[in-house]
Amino acid sequence: MGLQIAKLRHVKRAFSNTLVIFFIVAAFSSVVTATEVVVNKSVPSAKYSVGDIRAIFIMQKRVWPDNRQIKVYALPDSDPLHKEFVKSNLHMLPHQIRRIWDRMTYSGTGSAPIELDSEQEMIDKIANTPDSIGYLSITPNNENIRVFTLH
Amino acid sequence: MKTYAYLHYINCVLPQQKRMSARVRGCAYTVIDGLNVFLRVLVASFLWFCSSDYVAADSHLLPDDVQIHGFLTQGVFHSSNNNVYGHSDDSVSPGLTEIGLNADYQPWRNLRFAAQGLYRRAGDVDKGTVWLDYALADLTLYEYDSGKIGLRGGRIKMPFGLYNETRDVAFTHPTILLPQGIYFDRSRSLMIASDGGAFYAEHRTEFGDFAFKFNVGLPRNDLDEIRSVVLASRHTQGSFQAEPIIATQLSYELNGGEFVFAVSYMDTEFDFIPAGSDKLRKSETRIQPLLFSAQYNGEKFTLTGEYEYRWNTFGNFAQYGGGKFITESWYIEGSYRILENVQATVRYDTLDMDISDRGGDGAIALGYPRHTAYAKDWMVGLRWDITPSWMLKADYHHVHGTAWLPQADNPVPDKTLQDWELYGLQLSFKF
Repeated sequence: MGLQIAKLRHVKRAFSNTLVIFFIVAAFSSVVTATEVVVNKSVPSAKYSVGDIRAIFIMQKRVWPDNRQIKVYALPDSDPLHKEFVKSNLHMLPHQIRRIWDRMTYSGTGSAPIELDSEQEMIDKIANTPDSIGYLSITPNNENIRVFTLH
Repeated sequence: MKTYAYLHYINCVLPQQKRMSARVRGCAYTVIDGLNVFLRVLVASFLWFCSSDYVAADSHLLPDDVQIHGFLTQGVFHSSNNNVYGHSDDSVSPGLTEIGLNADYQPWRNLRFAAQGLYRRAGDVDKGTVWLDYALADLTLYEYDSGKIGLRGGRIKMPFGLYNETRDVAFTHPTILLPQGIYFDRSRSLMIASDGGAFYAEHRTEFGDFAFKFNVGLPRNDLDEIRSVVLASRHTQGSFQAEPIIATQLSYELNGGEFVFAVSYMDTEFDFIPAGSDKLRKSETRIQPLLFSAQYNGEKFTLTGEYEYRWNTFGNFAQYGGGKFITESWYIEGSYRILENVQATVRYDTLDMDISDRGGDGAIALGYPRHTAYAKDWMVGLRWDITPSWMLKADYHHVHGTAWLPQADNPVPDKTLQDWELYGLQLSFKF
């Protein structure tokens, strides 16, 4: 009997430990800790502000200081990285930026960012497209990609 | 009282579709039907192609400076009395179908082309048409660090309030039916787009973004509708001719659209041109709506209100003589995001056709039911964004009055009832 209870306790403890680990893993995997705004190396270094990033992503600011057209990339609305980027870097809500993009896309008054399927695709696009801007969860080790610094 | 006849035709009857004479209909419709079927097949196959695995959302087959997008909406309606989008009274009308497909191409930094084709079927008001919704060239004249100015030419959507430019795109508003007092479904053909030019200016400041639009152009020319309906006699040979419409809007957005304010004004005018044998006189009809809009977009809560004041001046082409009256409409709407992708909405929307006769005495005097003079609509709605591409909406309306009820769906005004309920369900897809 006593043995059985001890066994049961052991199973219980093992179960709760597993639960704790599960929650820790779940918590870490669902939270994207940081978002880096990245650009292709061709983008001129200049004094950019937080307002500039927002203006670029809501497609109001269309050219870099060297007068070349900005190519804007984004991830799908449902992507946790996209949500995190909109909140922390643009200081907006995902549904607010979607309202602006849809209004332009379906009224002919502008075009929304080009939507990519994954972060890997974002890395490839930014690395290979001059004048491009996007966002990543990590700083990639790629000589064609530069972190977009603010002043 | 006299104004009522005009008031009724302009809001109820005028935008009915295609009441051509039987002879003209015979020839023209054979061609149009053929074209419609062809375009429908084309649009449907293109939508299938774009949504399939061959082409992902933004198309990897196309260069980055070309973007293709589209949407598809199907709504069904049921009402306790009166018909909306087909025969919905004690039945279910699968009456609202909308399919749009657009392309955007930017060959140079300061020049962009955009076009959208639209198929729409809406009850007996619109029995299925395909047309070019917009097709324009957009030239940025001057771009500076915090703004730009430019010109657009071609067929351009008319800015009016928060929703007119995207009124057919279900994803851009929280409920199935837009507030009908302001966004009349029956008069949409007059205010949806115009062929002409537009000037625009955008300026960003630390305390908000300003945008200004000024459009001038000819509206969609549904002269057959206007002619057959507006005139008391269908035997009249004269015609209606739309003058260029002016549509202008000044908007102010704070904190990336957390707060939105806008003032819109339109000036529409059409002339009656009598033929030689007509007894009716050449005259002008003018409609000038002024609209104030405000919206708060919070994380959970969205609050929206719009107020319209519309001057109507009807010409004395007909035997009744002309008339002036003012139409007023406003609504207030609150939406709450229960979950990140589920939004509940409550709205009160009111419309008075003639503010000097809110009770409808003029309607009675002309033999129409009193309740054609007003409409007060309480509605609750639910929007569920299943995925970023798929959306389901449900609406419930309790309406007092029939001022915005489509006459095409309800040909005998005396058979309409003052108090009625409307249920709607709508599934939408976009890419």
